[in-house]
Amino acid sequence: MSGVVQGGWEFVAGAYIVTAAILSAYATSVFLRYRTEQRRAAAEAEREARK
Amino acid sequence: MRQSPTGPKVLVALGVALLLAGSWWGLTKAPGEVYMGEVQRIMYVHVPTAWNAMLALSFAFVCALCFLLTNSWKWDSRLEAAMEMGVVLSLLLCIQGSIWAKPTWGVWWDWDPRLTTTAVMVFAFGGILALRAFVDDPARRAVWSAVACIVAFVDVPIVYFSVKWWNSLHQAQSTPQTVSSAFHLPLRVNAFGILFLWTGLVALRSRVASLRLRNELGPPLPDSKPAVTGAAPIAGGAS
Amino acid sequence: MEQDSRRAREPEGRLKDLLAALRKDLLLQWRGRAQVIAIFAFGAAALLLFSFAIGPDSAALREHAAGFLWLGLLLASTLALAESFEREMEEQALEGLLLLPASTRGLYYGKAIANWAHLALLGVALVPVMVVLYDAGTLRLISLVGVILLGTAGLSAPGTLYAAMTSQTRARQTLLPLLLFPLVVPVLLAAVKATSLLILGDPMGQLRPWTTLLAAFAVIHWSIGGLLFGRVVED
Repeated sequence: MSGVVQGGWEFVAGAYIVTAAILSAYATSVFLRYRTEQRRAAAEAEREARK
Repeated sequence: MRQSPTGPKVLVALGVALLLAGSWWGLTKAPGEVYMGEVQRIMYVHVPTAWNAMLALSFAFVCALCFLLTNSWKWDSRLEAAMEMGVVLSLLLCIQGSIWAKPTWGVWWDWDPRLTTTAVMVFAFGGILALRAFVDDPARRAVWSAVACIVAFVDVPIVYFSVKWWNSLHQAQSTPQTVSSAFHLPLRVNAFGILFLWTGLVALRSRVASLRLRNELGPPLPDSKPAVTGAAPIAGGAS
Repeated sequence: MEQDSRRAREPEGRLKDLLAALRKDLLLQWRGRAQVIAIFAFGAAALLLFSFAIGPDSAALREHAAGFLWLGLLLASTLALAESFEREMEEQALEGLLLLPASTRGLYYGKAIANWAHLALLGVALVPVMVVLYDAGTLRLISLVGVILLGTAGLSAPGTLYAAMTSQTRARQTLLPLLLFPLVVPVLLAAVKATSLLILGDPMGQLRPWTTLLAAFAVIHWSIGGLLFGRVVED
């Protein structure tokens, strides 16, 4: 490589922000789906218990 | 069996904490690199993401093998979770690589063998997730995605070598160099950060898959798949 | 119980099953040769469209002819592979096949070889189209046929495995290419490179590594295909 790459903070920021965004978005989606499934399972268990 | 989600949540929290610490260190304390300048700092998330993407998909491969050998539903749930996580990490890797490539090579994509292989993996494993969406029978879905996962994983090294040879004829560009010793700390911290994060998320996600499966098949969730397709126990029946 | 008798079949039994399956598939292909011709027409049309995409620049067309040939072949292969299992889906013939005391491994290889023959024939048939449209011929015809044989072998093994799966799903037409294309990237790269060397010249003798890659890919996928097919079609 010949020269020095000048500046580039916007790319660094971009990379870190994208990383944070994607990981938190995915983590949130997993947590939300987990909560939905838990609630449904709890509702089903209640229904079974009442029968 | 109701499992407490404390374990996974702790893992996720720990992972996030480590990631924040490692990233802060990489962004502020570590010195800029001689030739790369500030752009080098992208490596502090890019390299850990690469390691973990590979790990997650390797774990998916193990789950696929375990499922085919044991026929136990829990491996299918883990497979679904691991593949999803692997695809997310691989996609992230491609985006990071692209952001790194622009200031470095002047183009958004430079056909680097590792990144190109990763892109192919996103499509390959993403396709298997799509396959899962279109197969209604749980037993078949489990077997087929396990088979497809094994074939796709075995293919990864072949894809890598073929792209490497193909690319070497066109450009002598070097791939991102290994980071020199002064910069190892943020790298390791972030690597463990992402490791704990994805492990926790996969544990949670496989519970989601198990709960959905239980809903599909009707409780109780049998440990082995039904002997005959379609003979799934109806709600309330014993297995 | 049928599974056990299937697995217990000796090698001669498996070979007989393979030949029986192969014969059946080739016969069906012959009987349905209108389909075979239609698939060829699709491939030729694709090659034509590629030339429109590039424009009447004969130098550019010649340079990329190998790529177009293999892309056209790849696209047409999804039709051929899907069709090879659609026959089984009608009247639930696949289940009938599996009830017979025939080994699934023999079934797989018989079908894969029949598909290989179909794809190789398709590839060879598209060569004259390539020669005419892109002014891209070669004198090394034997080598070209060899590359086509190796490349289509690499497409046929995973293609047969995945076609068996996707033919039984809802979105079968989209799923097969979606699953197959990422997998056969090495075949595309190596076959295009090898064909390109044959067309444009190979002064440094670089053909061998690419054909070796194609052969290695084929060997690996024919092996694991045979191992896994049984699980894919089991009930």
